[in-house]
Amino acid sequence: MKVTFKIWRQESPDAKGTFRAYQVDDLTEDMSFLEALDHLNELLVLKGEEVIAYEYDCREGICGQCGVFINGRAHGPHNNMTTCQLHMRSFKDGDTIVVEPWRAASFPIIKDLIVDRCAFDRIIEKGAYISAKTGTAPEANAIPIPKSVADAAMDTAACIGCGACVATCKNSSAALFTAAKINHLNKLPQGKAEQHQRVKEMTWQMHEEGFGSCTFTGACEVECPEEISITNIAEMNARFIKSKIFG
Amino acid sequence: MALNPLFFRKTIIAATGLFLCIFLIVHLSANCILLLPEDVARGLYNSYSTALRENPLIKIVAYILYISIVLHVVYALLITIRNRKAKPEKYTMNQANENSSWTSQNMGLIGIMILLFIVVHLANFWARIKLGIGEAPGFDADGNVDVYEVTYSLFQNIYYVIFYTVLMIPLGLHLHHGLKSGFKSLGFYHQKGLKTLAKVALIYAAIMAIGFGIIPFIVYFK
Repeated sequence: MKVTFKIWRQESPDAKGTFRAYQVDDLTEDMSFLEALDHLNELLVLKGEEVIAYEYDCREGICGQCGVFINGRAHGPHNNMTTCQLHMRSFKDGDTIVVEPWRAASFPIIKDLIVDRCAFDRIIEKGAYISAKTGTAPEANAIPIPKSVADAAMDTAACIGCGACVATCKNSSAALFTAAKINHLNKLPQGKAEQHQRVKEMTWQMHEEGFGSCTFTGACEVECPEEISITNIAEMNARFIKSKIFG
Repeated sequence: MALNPLFFRKTIIAATGLFLCIFLIVHLSANCILLLPEDVARGLYNSYSTALRENPLIKIVAYILYISIVLHVVYALLITIRNRKAKPEKYTMNQANENSSWTSQNMGLIGIMILLFIVVHLANFWARIKLGIGEAPGFDADGNVDVYEVTYSLFQNIYYVIFYTVLMIPLGLHLHHGLKSGFKSLGFYHQKGLKTLAKVALIYAAIMAIGFGIIPFIVYFK
């Protein structure tokens, strides 16, 4: 199949970026989107041009590295999917595919399609852990945790920090990410001891990093590869109020 | 730790918004008097509005109402400025309609339309009746200010009728998203409850938009 990639090229964080079009003729619809980009890069190497910079790691939908905006959607046209799980069969022969980096003030562009997501790491540093020394792994059933609570905690622990929620949000709000991290630990007995401090410090860091407010458009939960529900944000709001009263 | 503006502003917007939602129920209920035959409606409407104006409790509520509108608008503006700063560069291609509703993406724009409506609405009624600006309203047979006549004469003008009706569309859209979002901003996260809330918000918004929108037409053809 033949497609035209219209890709954002930007030399460095401060350089002015622009779109460049690349026509690629010999793709197959079984190729993953990243393999198609790999192929394009091989062609660029053969021509002596600079390759397109983009991120990836696991290529099996669990690492959260491959975030790019494809044809106006985070991770491409499907709901709840990472870029590496997207295949060329999702496009038609002759299509023009527009590829942009995540756009958010808190995710500055490093080069081409790669953005700096360290703002997420700094939010994590403020409390997405427990400080209690737990020693070696205890017997799994030593702490009774109801299945419903364990399941709900796991649903939020599934967040891979890809940044699609921020990327797709018109306000660049990091509420879904931060809510997932807070609710994951605050639900569990191990996390309860530091629950109020965790909420206050992580949400304050979210503010410091310059992310916007959540206005519940719901775009984030549609683009989240882990299908983390937006009700987590409402739960974080409740936990925030609780931390102000009891913290 | 200082107040976190990401939460503080949203809380103010949600709380004032929900208060305004309750106010609208009372407002629409009173407007329904206008649907009665004229001989009954005039006396009832005028005595009701006199009772409202002279009740000291209602005066307090009125001030809470003014403050709510101002806070709702000011904080919405502050949030919008912050949110724009957080997304300085827009996507060249953005299919936001595939992952969210148009309303939820454009609450600010819809809000401006409603604000425009409120300004005209206050100029038509509040300014004349409470502030005494413009043509002074008359009195009815019982000696009450003839608010019914102010309403009736305004809605003999088809342009006002259309204005009052058409701008109820953005009101309905704003209420639909606002009611759902407001509860979530205040920390309501019960899964089944949120599904019920979504239905209630739709019904509420429809009743408000159709109710407020249709009354001017009925008065016009009375």
